Amino acid sequence: MEPRGLLALVLHTHLPFVRHPEHPSFLEERWLFEAITETYLPLLERFHRLADERVPFRVTMSFTPPLLAMLADGLLQARYLRHLEQLIELSAKEIERTRWQPPFHRLALFYHHRFTTAHRLYVEGYRRDLIGAFRRLSERGVLEPIASCATHGYLPLMETQPAAVRAQIRIGVAAFEHAFGRPPAGFWLPECGYQPGHDAVLKDCGIRYFLTDTHGILFGSPRPKYGVYAPAICPSGVAAFGRDMESSKSVWSAEEGYPGDFEYREFYRDIGFDLDYDYVRPYLNGDGARLSTGMKYYRITGRTSDKQPYDPDRALEKAAEHAANFLFNRSQQAEHLSSALGRAPIIVSPYDAELFGHWWFEGPDWLELVIRRAHADQPDVRLISPADYFERYPTNQVLQPSLSSWGNGGYSDVWLNGTNDWLYRHLHKMAERMTDSARAHPQPDPLRKRLLNQMARELLLAQSSDWAFILKTQTHTAYAYRRIHDHLARFSALEEAVQRGCVDEGWVAGVEEKDNSFPFLDYRVYAG
Amino acid sequence: MSAIAAPAPEEQYSLPTGYGDTRIVLMVKDPWWLYAYWEVQPQVERTVRHQLTPEEVIGLQTVLRVYDVTEVAFPDHPAHRWFDIPFSGLAMNWYIHTNAPNRSFIVDVGLLTRGGRFLRLARSNRVTTPRVGPSEVIDEAWAIDDETFWRLFGAAAVGTSSSPSSWTFAPSSVHTWLPSGTAAARPALVQGFWCRVNTDLVIHGVTEPRATVSIQGRPVPLRPDGTFTIRLAIPDGVQTLTIDVTSADGTTTRTITPTVTLAWSGTLEPERPAKPFRPSGKPADRPSSGGAA
Repeated sequence: MEPRGLLALVLHTHLPFVRHPEHPSFLEERWLFEAITETYLPLLERFHRLADERVPFRVTMSFTPPLLAMLADGLLQARYLRHLEQLIELSAKEIERTRWQPPFHRLALFYHHRFTTAHRLYVEGYRRDLIGAFRRLSERGVLEPIASCATHGYLPLMETQPAAVRAQIRIGVAAFEHAFGRPPAGFWLPECGYQPGHDAVLKDCGIRYFLTDTHGILFGSPRPKYGVYAPAICPSGVAAFGRDMESSKSVWSAEEGYPGDFEYREFYRDIGFDLDYDYVRPYLNGDGARLSTGMKYYRITGRTSDKQPYDPDRALEKAAEHAANFLFNRSQQAEHLSSALGRAPIIVSPYDAELFGHWWFEGPDWLELVIRRAHADQPDVRLISPADYFERYPTNQVLQPSLSSWGNGGYSDVWLNGTNDWLYRHLHKMAERMTDSARAHPQPDPLRKRLLNQMARELLLAQSSDWAFILKTQTHTAYAYRRIHDHLARFSALEEAVQRGCVDEGWVAGVEEKDNSFPFLDYRVYAG
Repeated sequence: MSAIAAPAPEEQYSLPTGYGDTRIVLMVKDPWWLYAYWEVQPQVERTVRHQLTPEEVIGLQTVLRVYDVTEVAFPDHPAHRWFDIPFSGLAMNWYIHTNAPNRSFIVDVGLLTRGGRFLRLARSNRVTTPRVGPSEVIDEAWAIDDETFWRLFGAAAVGTSSSPSSWTFAPSSVHTWLPSGTAAARPALVQGFWCRVNTDLVIHGVTEPRATVSIQGRPVPLRPDGTFTIRLAIPDGVQTLTIDVTSADGTTTRTITPTVTLAWSGTLEPERPAKPFRPSGKPADRPSSGGAA
């Protein structure tokens, strides 16, 4: 039976490049470790299981180069295992400590099982190679991986530096090809930040489609006949798929969405904060500040601080209920839209991948249940990847999407406000200098080539939208500031060295060892 | 690292306030607001000031001149309109409220005399603000009437007026990887007082490193020096523990059975806050002013 609606679930994975070999352990490296345990491994395990059971499905995932680089990095892999082994040890102690408290004892066993399973999967199942595990999903036809910008640079605020925009996109595509061994069909614009004209740069890199927020399409011109329920073909010929607000909100919103259900696990209560300090101290970072360990014993319970113990079985029942509700609503939505539009709508639901598992602990279960149900009970909504759409409907409306992002307010306010606007003066200048240097050295000697490539790495790492975001949210601002400062400092010193033609070898080797992403990078991308 | 103890460039560097340029850069914040940053070198300003008569120097004002250049080949053709924003000579950036979606702008930074003469110091790039609301342009091959468009897609486009305050989106999904356990990331406590008192029992001891120890029949790991520690969260009432220590050759076992009583006294309910306080129902979590192992 022809489906009445098409559903494209798009998960965007990204973490800023955080890797500090100069410190024995580093707090912010935990972002990666938590994401691996809570999001990437649970998703990989479920997707492979579904594929093993021959459940047909399609999910789209974007991967940013910093994340790909960290997943492939030997030092971080070793540190991840050390982190996980500590959790296994802590959960084993918790099993003992909670022996006389059945609800908590059960949770301690639950976490111990999760951590040992994660360890087994990581070491034996995937042999530390998570990119390979994602690649195999793509080879099995269930996952459509797509590319993103080199360091998650927010492109609309780079508009005055076209070479920098081009480099973010080209290097993003190159990193994808390096990881997946084939060119990407789709592209995730960081924060869905679309600036008219950037589609032409995507086109030059062989990209067929990208994703925008709802109003990027709805406020496009001419007026889109199908709204966001069919792609818009940009003047360059690249397609733009707009986000469906209704399905997004039901998953994302903490108030109206599923993740706020009282049965689900409470994110903000963690034994790292709740238990005796001396007891948890060995599992904290060097400075001894309390932090989240990942062992969380309570459910959301309600609008109260008096939380009740978490019950994984009840939470799973809720996830099943919510999966059924989600598909029922999509089915209703598809029926309504298809009769009004005269073609099967594509409902595009993009989310941050880390929402699933990290923020919304039950998210991976919910996703698996959505996939199972979409196959078993809901023949009128079919999961597809945006690229699959063109096989059904090759002809689509040409229009110019509007400047937009999925940030709060819908535009650039999050990355351009009183907390972070000072950044752009420096970032733009670095980009300009990079372009000048690249043009001045089309045929460099080996030393200059090396220095220019490292300059490009420093520029790219400084451009990560995460720094502006962290400054805005006022958490870890000292770290964000330090990163910007250090990348700018290294960039300037490297630039001087290029001009002089000599450098402190020890220093530059240290910089290359620290900021070692993009080994394949060629700075001449900035020469245009 | 180099043998010469020169400080690393990272330690010496501080962010410059400027780069020795004379330029102004314009960016779009949202449909209603622009952002400009600039720097002007003193010699450039001096050169421009040389064009002034002595009378003009009095009351001279630094301004941003904002031109609406929508679909105009500015400066060959004049702007539709412009307005000035006076600012103190120390400012190096400004948020500009144009309140004009779907228009194009160029901004000059310059000097304005009382007589109304404007002398430009630098001119910005051109930007275009995004449209707010559906386009008026209809492609006949893909036509959709107003009524159908609003009925089908209106929910996502509600509130499309020309004012930023009324243009609010559904919750957006932007977040970054918020660090775990940052104080600022934890929600403020809801109104009312709450507390928790838990009781953990720590049993520790030492024996020969190769001996084995079990508590309640479960083995306890020994440290290389023969010490061991186990922590148990204990419930109300009387608990009897069985601790077995067996020698390395397995021939001798000693059994110790400490009994622990946990009894609570004192008021469970604190002064009644605005919201009724309920103990969480787990004995060890019960709030109490007293209680000891």
